[in-house]
Amino acid sequence: MPNSALQVARTGLEAQDTRMRVIANNLANVGTTAFKRDRANFATLAYQNLRVAGQQSSSETDYATGLNLGTGVAVQSTSRIATQGTLNNTGNALDLALDGDGYFQVELPGGQTAYTRAGNFTRSAEGELVTVQGYKVMPGITVPEDATAITVAPDGTVSATTAGSGTPTELGQIHIASFANPAGLQAMSDNFLLETGASGAAQLGTAGEAGRGNIRQGMLEASNVNVVEELVDMIECQRAYEINSKMISAVDEMLRNANQTL
Amino acid sequence: MDRLIYTAVSGMADSMIRQRAIASNLANAQTIGFRAETFESAPVTIKGQALEARAMVTTGVLGADMSAGAIIETGNPLDVAINGEALLTVQAMDGTEAYTRRGDFSISASGALVNGDGRPVMGSGGPITVPLDTDVSIGPDGSVLVRERENPELPPQAVDKLKLVSPQGSPVAKGTDGLFRVRGGGVLPVDEAAQVQSGALEQSNVNATQILVEMVEAQRLFDMRTKLISTAREIDEGGANLMRI
Repeated sequence: MPNSALQVARTGLEAQDTRMRVIANNLANVGTTAFKRDRANFATLAYQNLRVAGQQSSSETDYATGLNLGTGVAVQSTSRIATQGTLNNTGNALDLALDGDGYFQVELPGGQTAYTRAGNFTRSAEGELVTVQGYKVMPGITVPEDATAITVAPDGTVSATTAGSGTPTELGQIHIASFANPAGLQAMSDNFLLETGASGAAQLGTAGEAGRGNIRQGMLEASNVNVVEELVDMIECQRAYEINSKMISAVDEMLRNANQTL
Repeated sequence: MDRLIYTAVSGMADSMIRQRAIASNLANAQTIGFRAETFESAPVTIKGQALEARAMVTTGVLGADMSAGAIIETGNPLDVAINGEALLTVQAMDGTEAYTRRGDFSISASGALVNGDGRPVMGSGGPITVPLDTDVSIGPDGSVLVRERENPELPPQAVDKLKLVSPQGSPVAKGTDGLFRVRGGGVLPVDEAAQVQSGALEQSNVNATQILVEMVEAQRLFDMRTKLISTAREIDEGGANLMRI
């Protein structure tokens, strides 16, 4: 029993430490294209019922109060806050931003599909539309070598004008994926998200329809991290950590005092 | 040895339990909708022929402090904070109804509305489910509004209503899962007048300053009780010395 207060305070320190890590990651990604900030969710750990109110204290009397002690706190989950980031004009024809919900589809080297909102695409040596990492944006769109201008319509239709021809030719259409529970997508490196059992299967559709966002050409979505908000959270987290560490030193002093006095 | 040490030891154990309850409140100072534990120490007198000069002490958790926590805006349409003292109904692990103030909702892949603790949220007729691929929001009276993404021009339709219950008159107790239940069993009546604020969350009602004071108090009390034991030893040694003469 004597150590329990120390252990409970320790769970507080650990939870604040994890939260600080989430905040640090948000701040580190303040300049990452289309990054969505995470929020750490705390939950109480189980309670120990040492005595239930109403339990008999003798053959004739009952305890008027119970004794159920909490065992602390834990960061139960982190949730991605999916609010729209601001759209910044870049002027680059292959920079695409989503104005609304949805994700671009990207084929990873192993053939697996990943989803992203970061639309800083480029053209590969073969003329294909690829991400910065060189992964193909699905469905594959090949831009002819002699293309002079590429336009991407808000609904995802990609067309190109070639040298010597005045009329643009349609190259294909970028489809936007949506999910039943986008918060359930699993984040991986390089701005990519993966489908999970919790997110539900991807539903492909035209940009601008059924709640999917429009595609804005020549723009990039900025991260939705609000530096001021994160700094306030950081201070709050730091103070909470301090108070929990004070609790540890208080209990430690109690035990030391008992050791010395007795 | 004098019986005084047993009294003092029961006091030391009490201070430790108190410190542990304080530590738990402190650790949960940022848990959404958390309700702080309140506790009390009471003397336990052993009835008998002996003089009732010394009483053991026992600590009990009186219940939870049900006062409201601060409400902060989050902007998330699925976050709700409850105005007043109504409680939200959720489904506990064993399938029964339990109550909480935690209103950070999300929608699971199957369309069930769950709170941040992963507990399904109860509506007028059981756990609330919403159609997939819709925009869900929550009205001030707790109604769950759904707007089809295919037809954004249509007004949102209410599919269910959060079961907001009134704890007035029925004492509730916190269970080992941190959820509230009616003491002695039973369910709470629906509070028709309850209002919620969407896009906001209620914070824990733990007051950090008050907690720090309680912590120092418990610490000093423990020290004083430790001192009692050493005093008891001195008295005992004094008595033994007298005997030697």
